[in-house]
Amino acid sequence: MNSLSAIVLIPFFSALLLGIVYLANPSKDRFYFYAGVGVLAPLISTLLALMVGWDMMHQAQDTVFHSRLFEWVNLGEMDISVAFMVDRLSVVMLSFITFVGTVIHVYAVGYMKGDPGFGKFMSYFNLFMGSMLLLILADNPIIMFIGWELVGLCSYLLIGFYYKDPANVKAANKAFILNRVGDFGFIMALALLFLALEGNGYTFAAIEANLSLADLSLLPLIGILLFVGAMGKSAQIPLYVWLPDAMAGPTPVSALIHAATMVTAGVYMVARFAFLYNEIPQVGEFIAIIGAATALFAALIAIYQDDIKKILAYSTMSQLGYMFMAVGLGAYSSGIFHVFTHAFFKALLFMGAGAVIIALHHEQNIFKMGGLRKHLKLVYITMFIATLAISGIPPFAGFFSKDAILAAAFASEHYVIWGVGTVTALLTAFYMFRMLFIVFFANGDNETRLELLPKTITYPLVILAFGSATLGLLGVNEAYGGSNLFSTFAALPDRGLHLSHSSEYMLGALNVLMGLIGMGLAYNLFAVNPAEPTGDSLWQRLVINKFYVDEIYEALFVQPLLQMSLFFDKVIDQKLFDGLISSTVYGYRYAGSLFAQLQNGKVRYYALYIMVGVAMTSLFMLTVIGGL
Amino acid sequence: MEQILSNIIFVPLLTALILGLSSASLRWIRLGAAASSLIVMALVIVAILNFDPSGGMQFVRIAPWIQNYGITYYVGVDALSLVILVLISLLMPILYAYIWKEERKGYWFNMMILQTGITGAVLALDMVLFYLFWETMLLPIFILIGRYGNGAFRYNAMRLLLMTILGSMTMLFSILYLGYTYFETTGSWSFAINDLSGLDFNPQTSIWLAAGFLLAFAIKIPLVGFHTWMAPAYGSSPTPAVVILSAIMAKLGVYGLWRFGYGLFETTLVYYAPTIVGLAIIGLIFYAIHAIMEPNLRRMFAYSSGSHLSLIALGIIVTNIYGWGGSIYFIATHALASAGIFLMIGLLYKRTKSVTIDDLGGIAAMAPRFAFFFVFFALSIAGLPGTGGFVAELLIIIGAFKANLWIGVLAATTMISAMLYIFWMLQRTVFGPAGSHTEAFADLDGREMGMLIPLVLLLLITGIAPSLFVPYLEPQIEGALAEVMRAIGGIQ
Amino acid sequence: MTPEPFFMLATLLFSIGLIGLISRRNLFVVYMSIELMLSSVNLVLITFSRLRDDMGGSVMVLLLLAVIAAEAALFLAMIIQLVRSRRSVDSDDFAQLRQTKESV
Repeated sequence: MNSLSAIVLIPFFSALLLGIVYLANPSKDRFYFYAGVGVLAPLISTLLALMVGWDMMHQAQDTVFHSRLFEWVNLGEMDISVAFMVDRLSVVMLSFITFVGTVIHVYAVGYMKGDPGFGKFMSYFNLFMGSMLLLILADNPIIMFIGWELVGLCSYLLIGFYYKDPANVKAANKAFILNRVGDFGFIMALALLFLALEGNGYTFAAIEANLSLADLSLLPLIGILLFVGAMGKSAQIPLYVWLPDAMAGPTPVSALIHAATMVTAGVYMVARFAFLYNEIPQVGEFIAIIGAATALFAALIAIYQDDIKKILAYSTMSQLGYMFMAVGLGAYSSGIFHVFTHAFFKALLFMGAGAVIIALHHEQNIFKMGGLRKHLKLVYITMFIATLAISGIPPFAGFFSKDAILAAAFASEHYVIWGVGTVTALLTAFYMFRMLFIVFFANGDNETRLELLPKTITYPLVILAFGSATLGLLGVNEAYGGSNLFSTFAALPDRGLHLSHSSEYMLGALNVLMGLIGMGLAYNLFAVNPAEPTGDSLWQRLVINKFYVDEIYEALFVQPLLQMSLFFDKVIDQKLFDGLISSTVYGYRYAGSLFAQLQNGKVRYYALYIMVGVAMTSLFMLTVIGGL
Repeated sequence: MEQILSNIIFVPLLTALILGLSSASLRWIRLGAAASSLIVMALVIVAILNFDPSGGMQFVRIAPWIQNYGITYYVGVDALSLVILVLISLLMPILYAYIWKEERKGYWFNMMILQTGITGAVLALDMVLFYLFWETMLLPIFILIGRYGNGAFRYNAMRLLLMTILGSMTMLFSILYLGYTYFETTGSWSFAINDLSGLDFNPQTSIWLAAGFLLAFAIKIPLVGFHTWMAPAYGSSPTPAVVILSAIMAKLGVYGLWRFGYGLFETTLVYYAPTIVGLAIIGLIFYAIHAIMEPNLRRMFAYSSGSHLSLIALGIIVTNIYGWGGSIYFIATHALASAGIFLMIGLLYKRTKSVTIDDLGGIAAMAPRFAFFFVFFALSIAGLPGTGGFVAELLIIIGAFKANLWIGVLAATTMISAMLYIFWMLQRTVFGPAGSHTEAFADLDGREMGMLIPLVLLLLITGIAPSLFVPYLEPQIEGALAEVMRAIGGIQ
Repeated sequence: MTPEPFFMLATLLFSIGLIGLISRRNLFVVYMSIELMLSSVNLVLITFSRLRDDMGGSVMVLLLLAVIAAEAALFLAMIIQLVRSRRSVDSDDFAQLRQTKESV
């Protein structure tokens, strides 16, 4: 199945081409070349992916397509090849990643046009696509990890794209460092898994088949460590602090990487290892708890944010929490379904926000916006659709996916998690509509002349709005009369959960109610005269400052590390080791000076030394040799 | 074919002698040096093509030298020596390209003698011969730093020399004792490794003997506690010297550990293993943290070098196939990445006359090509997947876990440790606003890119397709490992 | 006559000469001490010659006397040169081979 290899390799090669052409002459403006090649590559991958998907639909449920490129490492019992596989799970991920990815590439052309580093940007963007596809299509965990790290690299390069401002570079550093901390856990898991199964192959298929041969006491540790990697990549507590700062990158970056694709890699990974997590449900519970906590935490912070992108960043974090709730509890289909729908509406939200930002000449503070409803009609409508979707209002996509997740929590008797999820749904609707109302309703000094938006920006918005509106219908479960095409297609090893239809309806109704309440509250508070959050109460101050987590991390990790570094230099190296050496030097010189005192140049002393020597030698000869 | 190793060793020295004795002009010296390095590289390629991965020592040549004491001229190459041989033969032409405009003749001569010393040390299988080359490679470095360095170069060069010689001295004692014991037990003299490895000692003596060798290698690597010569020496040395120090000479410490530690003292190493593991792990973390606040780029990467070499030493001492494979792979890839970064620091110094981070900044805006290469090498050192460093780190981590869970966990911290200083450094030097010394920063020209591109390509190839290289190494590693395991008899 | 008193006298003279050589700084006194030691050695040689009826010892002493005289001339000549350059007959003033303060 060579199209699999092509899907991954084409974006890599186009990135290489763009990079070399750019470096050859960085200042030359080759807009059409960069844009053309840059969009063509993901487009081809999308078409190939859709063909693969079509093929897959007509095959049996557990069909897997393979494609092997070449051998990577073969040492001892380790035999890893650069090989790809696609099964139902990957084909689902593949379909929306390529499709949404291509749409965002088109958007990026419009957004980044005129930037002197445009060629570099398109090169990085393609590199990202290639890496993400490598991650998804890898047939063994090591190649997946390579893709995992490479998307982290692209994230770093793209967040720090406007590198002249050190704040952006710092944000990029933060992203990469926290990702790597997650990867530290991830690689430990991979090493342990490999050694546990040593000699029995290391592709996903082989691991799944041979899992029973492994030392079962290691499985919880491996499961947790894998999730540590996901914590970093998918911005869950406690490794999430990079995501809000990542908004320093250009908006297409936020849309593609930090909404639709990279951050979902963690969820994908858990689903890919579903066979492992099904053996250790207690670890799954832990994952679900973290997900729930993150969802609530992020939603709370989002309520008081004033930067449009930061609101969306916290929103992403919150929705990711939902996804982990699902996969942690074994409802893999629901989790992946939410990944799928979220990609559409979140990317749409970001792109819409980007459109607003450009229209208002790079203004990002929502309190400086307002009343744009009439002037940016298209953006308003599409973002309204997306907001409805994310708030869980049927028949838009978010309702079905979120409902499925909360139903799974309820059905598996994790009522606390269910409760947190439901409350968060209310908060989600609240802060999202708050954003919508403040930006598009309310008063605002929009006599500012608005920037005209090119079609490359507006058309993608429409496409994704359509997706947000309709794709939910793929996941309608039987309670509502649908046949849950999505789940049946994905065929993931969900842990069976049963809920009566009446409970389903009640939960569904509750969710809708939550969404409507949120919307209503937001309308009341913000539609007409939005009040900026002041730091009046302690609670407000706490939340506005994001619970001071960044500051805590700075004090707990960053400063001690820097101090330790100085300590190592000044005290240990200079005083201890150098001290030891210097003391030997001084000791040596001191002994030398003592001996030097014998050599004082005075003849009579030398005469004395001669006499002493003669006497001792004579004594020696007389007694020892002569036997006296 | 029999003579190929001797040719590889002595061509640079002979060239130096001829040029020196004939008082050649600078033009001839340059050409001669460059030619000698290219000839050596060609010979090495021939050797690779004729190398049989499944055999043991290859191209062995034994010739009597000081017969009364059984000292022979005994050279041969196996997998690990071949890797180091390839590295030095590759780096020399690149370094000559780098110093092409250098007018001080002593520079060129020292480089040639250095190449002979290193190649000889890596190929020698007779202990006295090895010791001779070990010392020979030290002196040119000492002179390069001590005459052409910057900063407090005299003091730092002296410190380098004295500390290394301290180790060499203890090694010499052990060598002589070994030779003498051989004479006592068999009645004839020999200093060849395979002869000496058959000797039996009571455990107490063997611990002291091993200590003599291990001290020399610990200082070379350098393991924590023996490292204070490193940062000042790297900071003061001119670029070619620092490249050789980091890329090659440090690796010779590991090579020595493998060849002589395991070759002569397998059972005693079990005694030392916990200490070495401890020092390696402490070094890995200590050096990395130390590097964070270091204001001088060369010194920062000196610590980086120490950190990664501690990881390599860890990979060797865990004594399993993943650790050994990973270490040998890391020796190769780290040499390439480290050579790259130090060359770039040298290029940076040529343009800004400063390697202090505070003076730099904003390079990416003025010189995108330079920025690309610099970031690439920095990330290779950090073990980015796609470069060879990642493959090596992965293998070593697996090897560490195989030995012990906690050693594995601590070894895995290498993922985090390199980032700590590299990213902040990049932020301050390559990105951000321009610094006081980077007001005008010329981008790389063709010649400079020509030097760096081979390194970049090799790093990418080793990262993307390790299967091109691993099959060369695997049989020998497995064979050597099997022998060691037999000797240890399963003591863990 | 028993030889003992002669040996004791010779030893005594030698010791006096030795102590004088080591502890006195005046060049003339140093010279005199050396002469004294030489004389005591001569005495021992003659005593043994007489004791063993061997002419060798006496012959040696006669030769020694000649050499000592020549050495005296040289010694005194050197003292004159030293005094000319330094205006002192203190042996401690001629300590140019000493450890100097700065080089360590």
